[in-house]
Amino acid sequence: MGPGFLAPSACLTMVFLQQLLNGLANGMGYVLIAVGLTLVFGVLRVVNFAHGEFFMLGAYVTYYGMTLAGLDYISALLVATLLVAGLGILANRFFFQPLKKEHEFTILLSSLGLALLLSHLAETIFGADPKYVDTPYSDATFSLGEITVTQQRIGVILVASAMIAATYWFIKHTRMGKMMQATAQNPEGAALTGINTRFVHAYTFALACALAALSGALVGPTAMLYPTVGDWAVLKGFIVVVMGGLGSVTGALMGGLILGIAESLGGGYISLGFKEAIGYAIIIVVLLLRPNGLFNPPASTK
Amino acid sequence: MCVKFDMSHPAPLLQAQQLSRHFGGLVAVNAVDFEIQSGEIVGLIGPNGAGKTTLFNMLCASMAPTHGKVIFNGEDCTTLSAHDMAQRGMARTFQITSLFPHLSVFDNVLTGTYRQQQTGWWACIRHQARYKQEEAEMAAQACGILEFVGLAGRRDDLAMTLPYGDQRKLEIAIALATHPKLLLLDEPAAGMNPDEGAKLVGMIKDIRQRGVTVVLVEHHMKVVMGVCDRVIVIASGEKIAEGVPQHVANHPEVIRVYLGREKVHA
Amino acid sequence: MRAAPFFESAKAWWLGLGVTLVAPFAAFNDYLLHMMVLWGIYSILALSLNIIVGFLGELTFGHAAFFGIGAYASALLVMGLGLPIWLGPLAAGLIAGAFGLVIGYVALRIVGPQFAILTLGFGAIIQTITNYWVDVTRGPMGISQIPPFSIDALGLDFSQASHMYFLVLACLTLAVYLSRTLQNSRTGRAYVAIRENPELAQSIGINTFKNKWLAFTVATAMAGVGGSLYGHYLRVITPDLMSLSYMSALIIMVIVGGKGTTLGPVIGAMVYIALLESLRAFGNLRLVIFAAMLIVCVIFLPGGLISVWLRWHNRVREV
Repeated sequence: MGPGFLAPSACLTMVFLQQLLNGLANGMGYVLIAVGLTLVFGVLRVVNFAHGEFFMLGAYVTYYGMTLAGLDYISALLVATLLVAGLGILANRFFFQPLKKEHEFTILLSSLGLALLLSHLAETIFGADPKYVDTPYSDATFSLGEITVTQQRIGVILVASAMIAATYWFIKHTRMGKMMQATAQNPEGAALTGINTRFVHAYTFALACALAALSGALVGPTAMLYPTVGDWAVLKGFIVVVMGGLGSVTGALMGGLILGIAESLGGGYISLGFKEAIGYAIIIVVLLLRPNGLFNPPASTK
Repeated sequence: MCVKFDMSHPAPLLQAQQLSRHFGGLVAVNAVDFEIQSGEIVGLIGPNGAGKTTLFNMLCASMAPTHGKVIFNGEDCTTLSAHDMAQRGMARTFQITSLFPHLSVFDNVLTGTYRQQQTGWWACIRHQARYKQEEAEMAAQACGILEFVGLAGRRDDLAMTLPYGDQRKLEIAIALATHPKLLLLDEPAAGMNPDEGAKLVGMIKDIRQRGVTVVLVEHHMKVVMGVCDRVIVIASGEKIAEGVPQHVANHPEVIRVYLGREKVHA
Repeated sequence: MRAAPFFESAKAWWLGLGVTLVAPFAAFNDYLLHMMVLWGIYSILALSLNIIVGFLGELTFGHAAFFGIGAYASALLVMGLGLPIWLGPLAAGLIAGAFGLVIGYVALRIVGPQFAILTLGFGAIIQTITNYWVDVTRGPMGISQIPPFSIDALGLDFSQASHMYFLVLACLTLAVYLSRTLQNSRTGRAYVAIRENPELAQSIGINTFKNKWLAFTVATAMAGVGGSLYGHYLRVITPDLMSLSYMSALIIMVIVGGKGTTLGPVIGAMVYIALLESLRAFGNLRLVIFAAMLIVCVIFLPGGLISVWLRWHNRVREV
């Protein structure tokens, strides 16, 4: 028997590990989306339905950066991240800031309007046909025994991990990060101690959009790109944020990984329908039983 | 209009029995007992942080007691919720002005008549005569209450455009619209000047004339002394004194607890 | 600002009914009539969403799912189990309402943005199940050749726009009646109270949960009936009916038209259909325009288009 002949049980393990790895890659993509969403909620107290559109824009700017401007992948990715962050600052200025004193309902609707505006504009400008983002890493694979994974996906895992660690460090140890924490914990108190909350809000929003755009730039090449992908992205973001607790970065990390792996294993071993439905089922169950998230203490009753 | 109170029933309208509320290790209210008779105007006073608000919230069921009972109109209401209490004839106002901001003054009060009506959507769909009759009655009642509190001239103004004093009046109007047996007022005189305070005293007495028993939490001593038949003093979560205002004003414990604050005038 | 007395008088509504009854005879082609039928159905759906979004003041993203449930229930029962077709809308309403009853019971305990996310989850999971349960729902291909309503004895074929319009108008009249009676009753006042200040509403004796639950159930049942009408008219339904795009369209109709009023959603549906068709040449840009209208209304005109009319009318009256 040569090395190419594997015992059946080893085969099953390989399949399992393959699914696990795929799930990990997907999950890290979700985490990048979710961290921004949860930060915006924590600091600005805004549930941003348009968050997924920044993911979409990140992917498209990367695509056009490479195809139209002739940039290499990394440069296009950086341009996309910075450009979309800038767009985020504008969006915050015009769609959320003026409504700060309004009812939550109004802000939610405003973010829905923004989401629809961006996704339909994208469809008009970029066209509804799917695009395929070709990077030097999207086809090259990396093999470990029977398990293969594209370099792009490894890239997602590595870069996302690095960015999440960097974001966590940033919040905990830099002055701006601490101001963000203060504003999240007590908006009025923070303003009273001299923190420019408007600036903190703009900064947080820009950071959130940058992370979403980065996720789009990284994840875009692993699948095809279409203008309404933002709806998909924001939904994944919500699932993770609900699991992790609104405002919690570590919660987003754990939630994203759980979702990615659960979807991958579910899709592989149960059915595709299950894969799609599991996320929604998670939203329902968690919001009904543990509205504060899986990793926080349960919400107190009266 | 002077309503006779039912003196054949010596049973109190409201009873607090050993009411306690703990927040973790902190005891906010500790085994407080008292009774309110029909037709009384009773004041609940005490220094800041004494637990009055917590006690107040337990009486109107917006907070559940850790121990003890609330008996309203002979019924053990301890486990009931706020709307159940309101349905049984207990109305309350809030410390921070609570209105329906985007509705007109008239609509605010009309909404308050909710518990008096039997006919709703279904009756309206069936075009029932009783529905029309009740709607007319409720509208008339709302008008009457607006006259009573002195807001009739502002009936079409949006509630959020009213000046502070009028907003407080509107709050009381909404509470009166529920046709309550007992009205709990949470610091009704807050933010009022002496003139407004005097007018409030008059209004509370008129409310009693309409047949409503009143309990108020208040810091304005002039108002308390001017309107209350009886005063209950809470300090550090416990009842330390109870009686007619003059008696309580000279009570050594009460003076000690208010040490350094305004001398309690009779 | 009180509502203009014009809207409160029954005369105005009878006038409106008269206009809508006569309108089809002024329509110069079948296509226009088709648009009017769609307007009627969307108005019913918008009115049902208005109960939750306008009167109760809660944003729900799952409403299109109940529309879809009604459409599928009616089609499947009539085609698969031989239910008499005229019972289709009734069954649709009951089944959608039953779903609304259960989902409302669990979901309405949550408030705020989490409620919106939760209803989004429910809507999405219902759509996913419809998409994948191919044995029953035929999956993404949907159900086609749904039989239309008809009264053979009178030669009425309700797959034709000119006939269907009157059937839909009858249902719309009923929906408008339900909405008006709600507004004018203590139930409607209770909903508004819950929207404006839930704590105060409780303290005047309103059981906020029970009232929200009832409103939600009625709204979902109404959406279900709308779904049935839609299915038996267009004769093709797919899981797309439950998608975010239909949901967004309904939200836009309610908000742009004027939430919390009865005429608002009807006007909103009219504006939506009119622009959708008249700007056909613009393609996807139409949806951009709708998004912009939504944003403008949210930020500058919270009362929707109706509030513009009311403001003008009040000014005219005062003169």
